[in-house]
Amino acid sequence: MATNAPNASPGRLPAVLIASDGRHPVYAPPGLDAGVLVRDTDLAALAHRVASDCPPLAVDLDSVAGLGSDDVAVDFITGRLGIHVVLTRRPQLAARVAERGFLGLVHVFGYDSTGMGRSLEAHPRTERIGSVLSPGLVIVHLRSDELADLPRPIVAYGLIDDVEDARACMALADAIVVRPTIAARLAAQLEASLVPG
Amino acid sequence: MSYTPPDAEVFIRRVAADPCCAAITAEENLGAAIVSRAPVVFILRGNGLAVAHDVRRIHDAGKLVAVHVDLVGGLRADRSSVAWLAKAGVDAVISSHGQLMPAIRHEGMTAILRLLLVRRSQLDTAVAAIGRSAPDIVEILPGVILPSVIGLLPPFEVPVLAGGFVRTQAEVGAALSAGALGVTTSSQALWGFDGN
Repeated sequence: MATNAPNASPGRLPAVLIASDGRHPVYAPPGLDAGVLVRDTDLAALAHRVASDCPPLAVDLDSVAGLGSDDVAVDFITGRLGIHVVLTRRPQLAARVAERGFLGLVHVFGYDSTGMGRSLEAHPRTERIGSVLSPGLVIVHLRSDELADLPRPIVAYGLIDDVEDARACMALADAIVVRPTIAARLAAQLEASLVPG
Repeated sequence: MSYTPPDAEVFIRRVAADPCCAAITAEENLGAAIVSRAPVVFILRGNGLAVAHDVRRIHDAGKLVAVHVDLVGGLRADRSSVAWLAKAGVDAVISSHGQLMPAIRHEGMTAILRLLLVRRSQLDTAVAAIGRSAPDIVEILPGVILPSVIGLLPPFEVPVLAGGFVRTQAEVGAALSAGALGVTTSSQALWGFDGN
């Protein structure tokens, strides 16, 4: 059974984040550069998962019921819980994560070109603060100038629901978020490609 | 003389006949939209308190007008702003607020619910909102990914517009093939494109 490796490099982003609600164990498939992203959960479930044999690598802070949206919450997540990749809608919280030496990722909403531009206006654009493009699948439809305008690292998050789409998004993003079934299929494809013909 | 907007069926037929609608985000794009073949002009930005003049210009060109009540300046998305837009002669109102759909219809305008596609786990909730609010049309954003996600959406009976990042004829064709009634686009080259 593979487990998530400890954060050898604080805030290191794997190529694949596997989405989990934190209530059930989720393991990265062997051979895939992957970690677990916990979202849509509650504080107790998150703390429980941190103490398990499959601790999350990243958390979508705004989707954790019971958790505040302030510096105290960031310090708890990155310090006490040891989660060093934090996704948030709030640029000031991402900045706090970065100040602590970890990776903050600000949600950028890619519904249309005008809205994405406005969404980017609030981005801090400083070191250790990247972007979470929502929905992630739209990344393959961005023009090169729009892609270049997104502060990296870029995580493509949302509606990447088949392996071909996942691979297309991986070619453009620094990381993608997928469900465990898609991660398993990606790993299987990768393994198959490594088997000598 | 007061203006009576066409009923939703007429609005839908106009879009179906000429499926590329002009989405304008700046006043300077209005002139190009007016002279284009686009059947409907979607006003997504600008001054909602001074929209009547633009509405008259668009009507004079034989086109219909939809206004995004959440995005134009000067208006709060509520029943009173919907009544304001009705008085200005607007034919359709777009909003992400499902609770406004009955008010829009009550004013005789076409009610367009804007649905933002975010994550798979939220699609059921989003489609449930269609059932609750009973819009005449749903505008799905980002429309460019509609062909990839249409199979993930629970079935619903409301006509769909695809908006957001639709910038090529191929993308228009893909959206229409996926079942969209039409597209809204700020790409002027597509305004009036018939989808073929």
